[in-house]
Amino acid sequence: MREMITTNLPVFIIIAPLFVSFILPTLSKRIKLVENLVISVEILGIALAVYLVSIILAQRGMPLIYQMGGWSAPWGIELKAGSLGAFFALAIAIVGLPVALFSKGNLSVEVGAEGRTARYYTLYLLLIGALTGMALTNDLFNVYVLVEVATLSCVGLVSSQKRPQAAKAAFRYLILATIGSAFVLGGIGFIYIITGHLNMGFASQKLSDIWQNNPRVVWTAFSFMLVGFGVKSAVFPLHIWLPDAHSVAPAPASAVLSGLAVKGYLFCLLKVLYFVFGPSLMQVYSVHRILVLAGMIAIVAGSILALAQSELKRRLAFSTVAQVGYIILGFGLVNTKGLAGSLFYLLSHAVIKSALFLSAGAIVNVTGKKHIKDLAGIGKKMPVTMAAFTISSLGLVGIPLLSGFIGKWNLLLGSLETENLLPVIVIIAGSVFCAAYLFPVIRIAYFEPAPDNDLKDPGLPQKIALILLSIMIIVLGTVPGSVLELANRAAAELLAVL
Amino acid sequence: MRELIDKLIVNYPYVAALIIFVIGAMTVLTRSNVFKKLLGINIMESAIFIMFVASGNIRGGSAPILNGNNSEALFINPLPSALMLTGIVVSVSVSAFALALILRLYRSYGTTDLRRIALMGNEVADK
Amino acid sequence: MKDFILKRIASIVLPFICIYGFYVIFHGHVSPGGSFAGGIIVGLSFIAFSTIYGIEKGRKKLPEKVLVYAESYGTLWYGILGLVGIVKGVPFLANKLAGIDMGAPGALNSGGLISLIGIGVGIRVASTMVTLFFTMMEEEK
Repeated sequence: MREMITTNLPVFIIIAPLFVSFILPTLSKRIKLVENLVISVEILGIALAVYLVSIILAQRGMPLIYQMGGWSAPWGIELKAGSLGAFFALAIAIVGLPVALFSKGNLSVEVGAEGRTARYYTLYLLLIGALTGMALTNDLFNVYVLVEVATLSCVGLVSSQKRPQAAKAAFRYLILATIGSAFVLGGIGFIYIITGHLNMGFASQKLSDIWQNNPRVVWTAFSFMLVGFGVKSAVFPLHIWLPDAHSVAPAPASAVLSGLAVKGYLFCLLKVLYFVFGPSLMQVYSVHRILVLAGMIAIVAGSILALAQSELKRRLAFSTVAQVGYIILGFGLVNTKGLAGSLFYLLSHAVIKSALFLSAGAIVNVTGKKHIKDLAGIGKKMPVTMAAFTISSLGLVGIPLLSGFIGKWNLLLGSLETENLLPVIVIIAGSVFCAAYLFPVIRIAYFEPAPDNDLKDPGLPQKIALILLSIMIIVLGTVPGSVLELANRAAAELLAVL
Repeated sequence: MRELIDKLIVNYPYVAALIIFVIGAMTVLTRSNVFKKLLGINIMESAIFIMFVASGNIRGGSAPILNGNNSEALFINPLPSALMLTGIVVSVSVSAFALALILRLYRSYGTTDLRRIALMGNEVADK
Repeated sequence: MKDFILKRIASIVLPFICIYGFYVIFHGHVSPGGSFAGGIIVGLSFIAFSTIYGIEKGRKKLPEKVLVYAESYGTLWYGILGLVGIVKGVPFLANKLAGIDMGAPGALNSGGLISLIGIGVGIRVASTMVTLFFTMMEEEK
């Protein structure tokens, strides 16, 4: 039994949420059952992900290779659960559970009638399954299909509120995301045409042999991939869909969109850049410079745009644009420290941004007020929510002992290694900006006179979700231990081609 | 120059794919009508499909169906065509979803022009 | 609608369209076409029925509940057939490796699990097409 689970672990991790999501529409009348099913499948997901991580750590980073249907690599579809895949699968699992808990019993406020709740959960689990698939797949066309599944579920989540703006934001998101997928598919097409392989390992080997024959095609493939995944993961000039989409979605959905979905596309970009093209080709085409530059621009521009927002959720959404900049910047550093920092920051931002969006959503749901200036005195009325908000803002700014710090610290070390001072300055300036747009919220919430009306913290599952996320932020910041080790191993795995 | 033109003529499916891709991208980016945007996206995706399918084609090759007496025949590469079948399914679902969203937009805003919808966004929202 | 000719013709042609769709689904693994194309043909026969005879009659033929169950379990069927491999101790979605009789190439009962998977996909596609049509045609409640 145990052996069966171990050998089939990569498949189980992916199909568990998918199986449940398929049967949810038939249970649309029994909301309690649906909610408990979703939560239990998320707990199962955490168990499987932790087991996978422990196996990978015990094997010292040796990846688990799984051949679908028993067809071996260049012909069949391969799943590869290395340190990198296990790391992202873990990130998905630990963010997925609190978000599912937060949705429990609370969705009808935002989504509406009963049938819609079941549909919401279907999309949510489809998204989780697709993201886990992205983490583990080793096949380029699989990446495209999973990206499409994730995109459609994201758009569905954005449009799950009945308000007209939801449809508008979802439509814009759908159009831009589909342009992105067309570019991604084009990029995959170019790689397939010149290498004849869709398996990442084989394509990479072939590519390093023959790229000199078709240098321009490789260049085109690079740019198609960058633009395609750039649109989907909201890298700065391509971010225009994000603020509307993320601020109009229901709170748990915007948490998972900002925390995980964007990360999923970034993760695919990372995989394609390092596992298919390889670090040496990236340096030949100077793609790493483009990434660092795009990252720096995104940090500065995203932060300034976030400062200009007066709505809480929109400010958080623009903050995501800025934080994506850090991750992209780390991708371009091409050294172990920078990549490990970038990956750790990816995980810590996933946790932190989910906590921020969930607490912001709780505040908006309870008070009905979206603007920051209306939040005076919330800290005294809703202590748990605001405490979670404060801890996660401190974490996002990068205060030591919280998880954001370790990611930023490794990013700083990585950029110092490249002997380029500009990224260092931008990383530090980004933290200052971050403090500038998040601390006023805390100040208004705690130090301004409270309103007279009776406001309360949200219900028990919501509180548990917020507390879980806050604990994770602190634990990841104080004892990163094996998670950081896994990130380091993943970075080494990415650079192994060099 | 002559060489370049020869290359373009030999690889005409790729040139066609490029032209169609650009037409689609222009339609999406410059038109404000939601239906035209959706059509533009479909055109863009068709261009990619053409590129893929053309990459698997071998001139003079036949469909790769093995029936005992054509084992020596020249077959085209079926993989890109099979992949594009998946791509077409994805594109169909995107179109269906987009149409449903367009219906919702039209019901709440009374127009299919995205520019006008953007202008009246806040009034409808405040109701 | 009072279009007599249309209704008469439809009542003769539609059953054959539907059966043809099932034919394409069942022969998906041995001939061109397949479960996606066949599913669309089956779905289209119901969509044509609803446009000709009115949405209400179409709804009666295929109630929402049936559609939801067909959609959900059609997809689940695929996954369950994938699990056959795991139960037999070989990888997910294994076919010949799982010890399933492959039959003679070109025969209807060949291909092992593929034809069974095709049936699930076909049902799923047909029900999805019909659901999409109904969702778009009906006014929001």
